[in-house]
Amino acid sequence: MTTATPVPVENPVREDKTVREPAWNVIVWNDPITLMSYVVLVLRKLFGYDHTTATTLMLQVHEEGKAIVATQPREQAEVSVARLHAFGLQATLARL
Amino acid sequence: MASVLKRRGRIQVRLDERERVALLDIVERLTVHISRALATTPRAYEDETKQAEYDRWVRPEIERGYEADLDVIRDALSAGDELLVLTEAQVYAWLRGFNQLRLAAGSLIGITEDGWESDATDALRAQPEFGMLMALGWLQEELVAALES
Repeated sequence: MTTATPVPVENPVREDKTVREPAWNVIVWNDPITLMSYVVLVLRKLFGYDHTTATTLMLQVHEEGKAIVATQPREQAEVSVARLHAFGLQATLARL
Repeated sequence: MASVLKRRGRIQVRLDERERVALLDIVERLTVHISRALATTPRAYEDETKQAEYDRWVRPEIERGYEADLDVIRDALSAGDELLVLTEAQVYAWLRGFNQLRLAAGSLIGITEDGWESDATDALRAQPEFGMLMALGWLQEELVAALES
């Protein structure tokens, strides 16, 4: 068995390639039954929005039929959609 | 009359015997129709393969969650107490459960558009599910307000 003598590397080349995951939009859709106040509460709880931001998003859902409530890597976006579904909100995810 | 208050960080729901029985009846009558409402829930993905994976791995857990939320409501109402003191986690279970029940009621009476409350015909208002929708909505509003107070 031999032991290689370590040779110091001069000017090592570092490869700092960051692989960016594609982002996905989390979309909440309007439904005629779910209460507006409940949507605001859910957006605050799941995404940590303040009351004003959550209300703005809820109104966008109500008036335009849908709103992008978060943009995240796919795995995280899927978790967000699942949590929204658990609260009974209509939600989908779509690649940017 | 039913009331919802927040005291010392806990939510207190006061329901008399008649209200408790009526609410339990609503839960039982609408629970069997939740699957009908779920059938109209939009898919998570447009892509068929990804949606199939979601349905296989994620959706069953969500549906178990719905059942657990309804159990939380039933257990509290069945205890027979006039004053129900709920933790925050229990309040969220009630809110989620009520939302599912409301979606089921709305699906049963064919509500598909906003404005149904103000535009409701006498025939729609006469449907039992319309009353259930309104009653559950009132309680949901009260619980949200109590949580945010």
